[in-house]
Amino acid sequence: MSRIAEHPILGTPERGRLVTFSYDGRELQGYEGEPIAMALHAAGVMVHRYTAKRHEARGVFCAIGRCTDCVMVVDGRPNVRTCMTPLAAGMDVRTQDGIEPLDPDDPRAVRLASMVTDAAERGGE
Amino acid sequence: MNRHDLIVIGAGPSGLSAAIEAAHAGMDVVVFDENARPGGQLFKQIHKFFGSKEHHAKVRGFRIGDELLKEADAAGVRVELDSSVLGLYPDREVVVRHGDEVFHAKGDAVLVATGASENTLGFPGWTLPGVIGAGAAQTMMNLHGVRPGDRVLMLGSGNVGLVVGFQLLQAGCEVVGVVDAAPRVGGYGVHAAKLARCGVPFYLSHTIVSAEGSDHVTGVTIGEVDRSWQIVPGTERHFDVDTICVAVGLSPMSQLLDMAGCDMVDDPKRGGLVPVCDESGATSVAGIFASGDVSGIEEASSAMIEGRISGAAIADYLGYLEHEGETRRVGELEGSLDALRQGMFAPKNRGTVPERTEEGCPVSMNLLEHGFLSDDEVLAYPGVTHAKGVHAVIECSQNIPCNPCQDACRKGCISIGKNITSLPVVVGDAACVACGMCVASCPGQAIFLVDEDAGDGFATVTLPYEFLPVPSVGTRGRGLSRSGEEICDAVVESVRCVSAFDHTNLLTMRVPEDCAMRARFFRPAPADADEEAVS
Repeated sequence: MSRIAEHPILGTPERGRLVTFSYDGRELQGYEGEPIAMALHAAGVMVHRYTAKRHEARGVFCAIGRCTDCVMVVDGRPNVRTCMTPLAAGMDVRTQDGIEPLDPDDPRAVRLASMVTDAAERGGE
Repeated sequence: MNRHDLIVIGAGPSGLSAAIEAAHAGMDVVVFDENARPGGQLFKQIHKFFGSKEHHAKVRGFRIGDELLKEADAAGVRVELDSSVLGLYPDREVVVRHGDEVFHAKGDAVLVATGASENTLGFPGWTLPGVIGAGAAQTMMNLHGVRPGDRVLMLGSGNVGLVVGFQLLQAGCEVVGVVDAAPRVGGYGVHAAKLARCGVPFYLSHTIVSAEGSDHVTGVTIGEVDRSWQIVPGTERHFDVDTICVAVGLSPMSQLLDMAGCDMVDDPKRGGLVPVCDESGATSVAGIFASGDVSGIEEASSAMIEGRISGAAIADYLGYLEHEGETRRVGELEGSLDALRQGMFAPKNRGTVPERTEEGCPVSMNLLEHGFLSDDEVLAYPGVTHAKGVHAVIECSQNIPCNPCQDACRKGCISIGKNITSLPVVVGDAACVACGMCVASCPGQAIFLVDEDAGDGFATVTLPYEFLPVPSVGTRGRGLSRSGEEICDAVVESVRCVSAFDHTNLLTMRVPEDCAMRARFFRPAPADADEEAVS
């Protein structure tokens, strides 16, 4: 167990309510409000995602939202930085495989699609 | 679009300090920060800071953070959290994302105080889960109470690597070694010495050959490097570890300044691409300022002063201050900043290795190459003297800007003088009362109280002890040398834990008299650790 029960300088860490969440369909526990990545680390989960091309494992690297190595699919939404996103009761957290596409109805996906179409049309001229 | 007198980007030590100064001058200030909590990296700093009283010396970083937040609150500074600044235009307009919303805001002045990000190093296996930044380790253990791993290798012997290495020990991790490709320890010798006496070995002129494991780190191989940084065959050494911590420097996060068209310069002494700016942080673009690590990598104490200088300069620039008052204020602050930028580790001296201290004492090569002072070398420094009865032994061997020990001693036993980088001198004719304030106040944990002749062939050594469990009186164990080697039997004679020491417990151990000047750490015997320890 990698939780620090008592620290020589900081004393007993302040923690939120103990809540249950789902990790790849498995039930895990963590503290409400702590980053999802911390709850996973404390539960021994190291792999957060696999890369698109070579299917290599990635996990927490910077823990401050810079590197995006820790992204996962959270409540159906891909590319969520788990080191920055607070844990809530009942969350559904899943290992991300490659770069998950945006929901086709997402306005950003619609815009991207039109850009791709425009570029293809220009290329065909 | 919202308009403000001043927009500050980044609620770290520098940004908050600037915001406070500007708000005091009567300005309307807003601070945007992408994090859920303000304070930047200050709240991960659990060690006592260096410097003098005006720099909050001997106060732990997170406590300085608490004070700064209180001050910002009282000054009426508004901090907008979870707000990432995506863009900065030359006309001082910023684009901010908050959740799924994006909005614009405009300031009469904009201060960029975005700090720095960690560098990394590529080696086979560096992308494996379990290879983490030193900052990530701090975030995990000091902010969230989660141990980064059980067995950790630290790559990098700069102050970040050394400080985080010690914090890993405090969090209950085992640190198998500190590795650096450079031939000498990069950070303060006192930080290295804290690790060495706990038994952490230093591997200078070494680097990582590879990290091992299929989907997370299970081991690491290091090897010695030659002068052209190639691994010397046959020097490879393997460690079973679950975590590799990377502390190989920081780079300014100066992208926004570059984007706004500020003149930039690539300056290795300042850590990379930085804006060209004057002493107040004014960049080449009117009304855009920069302060803290984004304008050159230093540390939190100087970032706070730089922020205050920029805040005052911006208030003056926008006509909120009488020029005379501003000049006086900035003059004081610049003096304070200048004091921090002196000594062997000053930015201007980066990359140089002095052979002697300002006092003419030889610089310890053993400290630079192995992380600890040898028994002979230690006698060369003015803080190390022999005396009858209990006396302070100050193993401070480098000129760094720090002087809390001088203020801590009410009996006048310790003298540093006006120049805060001078080595502390133990004054011969002053009477030590063994109060221990100097031991607890030394941010480098380099002061010991020694009674070389405590009777019956024994000596006593009082040392700073920041680990759990705190051994109880009577606990038997071993005395460790400066290199962390067990050299004698030791018994705990007293333990002092008072609030003035702020969690630096003073442990006094009884050791054979010939170990008085050699034993510098206590390791409880395994059985005692279970039965007699109190926490």
